[in-house]
Amino acid sequence: MWRRLIGLLLVSVCWAVMAAAVSLAVSPKSTGARTVSTPRCTSAGLSVLQNLSAGTVISVTVSGLPAACGGATLQLTVNNGVANSSGSATVPGAGGSVIVTLGTPVAVTFAEQTDLVLVGP
Amino acid sequence: MRYRTGRAVTIAVGMAFGASIGLASAASLNLVAHNLTPYRTCTVTATPVATISVIDAGVRQANATSNFGNVTSLDIASGNGANRRTYLRFDLTNCVPAIPASAIVRLATLRLYLTAVPAVCRTIDLFPVTSSWTELGITWNNQPFGTSINNPPTASRTGSFDVGTPVGCQNRTTGAYVVGGTITSDVASFVTGGASNFGWMLRDDVEGSATTRTVTISSKQLGTIAQAPQLVVTYVAVP
Repeated sequence: MWRRLIGLLLVSVCWAVMAAAVSLAVSPKSTGARTVSTPRCTSAGLSVLQNLSAGTVISVTVSGLPAACGGATLQLTVNNGVANSSGSATVPGAGGSVIVTLGTPVAVTFAEQTDLVLVGP
Repeated sequence: MRYRTGRAVTIAVGMAFGASIGLASAASLNLVAHNLTPYRTCTVTATPVATISVIDAGVRQANATSNFGNVTSLDIASGNGANRRTYLRFDLTNCVPAIPASAIVRLATLRLYLTAVPAVCRTIDLFPVTSSWTELGITWNNQPFGTSINNPPTASRTGSFDVGTPVGCQNRTTGAYVVGGTITSDVASFVTGGASNFGWMLRDDVEGSATTRTVTISSKQLGTIAQAPQLVVTYVAVP
């Protein structure tokens, strides 16, 4: 009986510790935050060309991808200042080029911004 | 027996609690290492027709005082007294967000839609323009580079591409954007402020050909987005 009570007491203490931890305010200074260089599979100039249909961007061809980026996931968003659309594709193992189809076509305006990021490999 | 059962329950509760803490921690942290390679691109398109953010115009030696800023196609030609040049300017300040001066320009490409190609392979040179000009005011006689043919010299070009129907020529067919119009160093200078953006002049690498050779591209005034001149700038924003 006593041991059972002690066990339940320990469980309660654990919950209390958890609750306290959740309420802790953690500042970046206390976590030892620092600048970290992010590894990149390429620093080359990628060719990013829009594929158009009826005055809209329906997909984007990204080429110039080296083999070091093979297997990476290429995530891409096109923004024309009014609307935006995204898509993703996997870079072929040998690199080369990849076509990313947008979720919805984006109207061509004077200037569109395309953000892309290679995740991995 | 009761005691043993009670201890077993206590141990089971403790294990379940410990497991739940472990699961909760793993789920909330979600720490997965990935290599990230970010790029940003600004694509400037010569649209609509009325925009003054992109200007394009042609100049013709045989019509030295005439302006060709309101035509639907532009020529780059080499001929005896029949040379033609094309001027283009893209206003990069309209990129949203603005390309920061600290950005590293990885690639800048001029995209021009071919509607006529010569029967021989010709090299088209790209020169950054060093003084201002206007779309409806430029002529052969008042163009920034002057009226001398083959000027500026080929050595000062910052980009070039080949056009012609022969097998092996870089750009052989009409109905497609040219490949190879790379002007990365120019755009990098515009972005950093090292040079002013007055656009580019395109001329045949060897003007004054005995047989006239003409390359034709679609202009802004055609009003067809799928053929409009474009400038594509790919860069990395450096904090």
